[in-house]
Amino acid sequence: MIRLSGLRKSFAGIEILKDISFTLDAGNVLSIIGPSGSGKSTTLRIITQLEKADDGSLEIAGHTLFSSVGGKAVYASPDEERRIGLKTGLVFQSFNLFPHFSVLRNIMEAQRAVLRRSKEEAEDKAMQLLRKMGIEDKAKQYPYQLSGGQQQRVSIARALALDPEVLFFDEPTSALDPELTREILKVIRELAEERMTMVVVTHEMHFARAISDWAIFMDKGVIVEEGRPDDLFGDPKEERTRKFIASFDD
Amino acid sequence: MQSLLLQMMEGTITSLRIFFLTLIFSLPLGFVVAKGRMSRIAPVRWIVDLYIQIMRGTPLILQLIFFYFAPFYLFGASYDRFTACILAFVINYSAYFSEIYRSGLQSIDRGQYEAAKVLGFSKAYTFFHIILPQVVKKVLPALGNEVITLVKDTALAQTIGVAELFRVAQTASSREFSTVPIFIAGIFYFVMNYIVSRLFAIGERKLGYYR
Repeated sequence: MIRLSGLRKSFAGIEILKDISFTLDAGNVLSIIGPSGSGKSTTLRIITQLEKADDGSLEIAGHTLFSSVGGKAVYASPDEERRIGLKTGLVFQSFNLFPHFSVLRNIMEAQRAVLRRSKEEAEDKAMQLLRKMGIEDKAKQYPYQLSGGQQQRVSIARALALDPEVLFFDEPTSALDPELTREILKVIRELAEERMTMVVVTHEMHFARAISDWAIFMDKGVIVEEGRPDDLFGDPKEERTRKFIASFDD
Repeated sequence: MQSLLLQMMEGTITSLRIFFLTLIFSLPLGFVVAKGRMSRIAPVRWIVDLYIQIMRGTPLILQLIFFYFAPFYLFGASYDRFTACILAFVINYSAYFSEIYRSGLQSIDRGQYEAAKVLGFSKAYTFFHIILPQVVKKVLPALGNEVITLVKDTALAQTIGVAELFRVAQTASSREFSTVPIFIAGIFYFVMNYIVSRLFAIGERKLGYYR
C-alpha cells in the first residue's frame, strides 16, 4: 500500500529526516514511536502532502507521489497529487474540525464538494459513521459543544467518510485526558480489527504494541529500530529504543 | 420648514449614496489589500504597507482634496466631484478594512487550512467556505466600528463641494441665521448610525451559534 524510501527533509538548513524508508501492506497497521522532534509527524505530513519532500520516493496504492531524480524529490502532476491525496486520510492531534459547521456537515462537506456525492448519500454515510463512533445523537451539534474525545471521533468519521485507502493518525490522543484517550484508542482498535490500513504516530506504548503489525522507533530523523511489536517493545535491540520505552514504564 | 426637511432628505440621499458605494467597493477590496499585505513577495508587501500607512497617516479630508484636484494639476483634466469623492473614500476605507481583515485572517488556526487540504478542498473552496465565514465572525465588531465612522465621515465630502447632508444643513443654517438645521442633521446622523449598529448587533447574534 505504501512504499517510502530514502525520504529526506530539511527545514532552514537543519536535516529533520535522514533517509527514512518503510513499506506497509494493505490491511496492516504501522505504529511510529519516538521522542518529540524525532521527525514522526513530519513523515506523516509529507505522505499526506502537507509538506514537500526534499528527496526520496513514495508510492501509495500503486501511484507514485514523488520519486528521487538526481538527489531531489520530483513530484507527480497536480492532478495526480490530488488523486493520491484522496487515497489518504489524516487525523490530527488537535482535531481541526470546522467550528462553523455542525457535526453532520463537518462529515458531509468534503463528500459533497470533493467527491460530488448527493446530499442523501453523503448524509447516509455520515450518519452511518456517527453510529459507528457511538455519537449519532451529536449530529446536529457544533464542535464546541462536544468533549475532546467526541470531537476526535467526529474527525475520524470525517476522514473515513472519503473512503481513504490508508488512514494516518498524528498523535490522536495527545490533547486528551486518560479517559478520553481510551475512547479514541478503542475506536482505532476497532478499525484495526476491520483491517483498515493505518499508520499511527503515538505515545501510547501498550496500545501501539497491541494494535500494530509493525512498529518503528524514530529518533533525530532516523529510524533507529523497527520490527514486530512484540520484539520492538518487548526486547529492543538498540540502547536508545530500550531507554525510550523504559521511560514510559512508571 | 418643510422645504428645509426636503432639502435635508436630498442631502441624506447623497450621504447614503457615498456610504453604500464606499462599502460596495471597499469591503471586497479590503480583502485584496489584506492579501497583498500578507503576500509572500516582499516588494508587494512593502508597496501595500506604504499605501496603508499613507491612508491611515494623513487626514481623509486631505485625501479628498488630493483626489479631486490632482488629476487637474497632473493632467490638466478634471472629473466630477462625486466620482472623486467615491474614489477617495474607497481607497481610504479599503486600507482600514484590510487591516481589520488581516487581523481576522491571522487569527485563523493553521489547522483549518491543513484539514481542508487533506480533505481535498480546492484553495478557492477553502477560502470561501471554511476561512471566510470564520473571519467574518471574528471581524464583525471591529467592522461595525469602522462602518459607523464611515457614516460620519461622509460629512467630509462637502470639502470638495458634494452636497451631502451636512453641507445642506450648513447652507440652510447660514441662510436662516439659525443653528437648528445643524442639530437636525445631528439627529439624522444619529438615526442612521443607530440602524447601522442594530444591524451589526443582529449580525453578531446570528453568527453567535458557534464558538
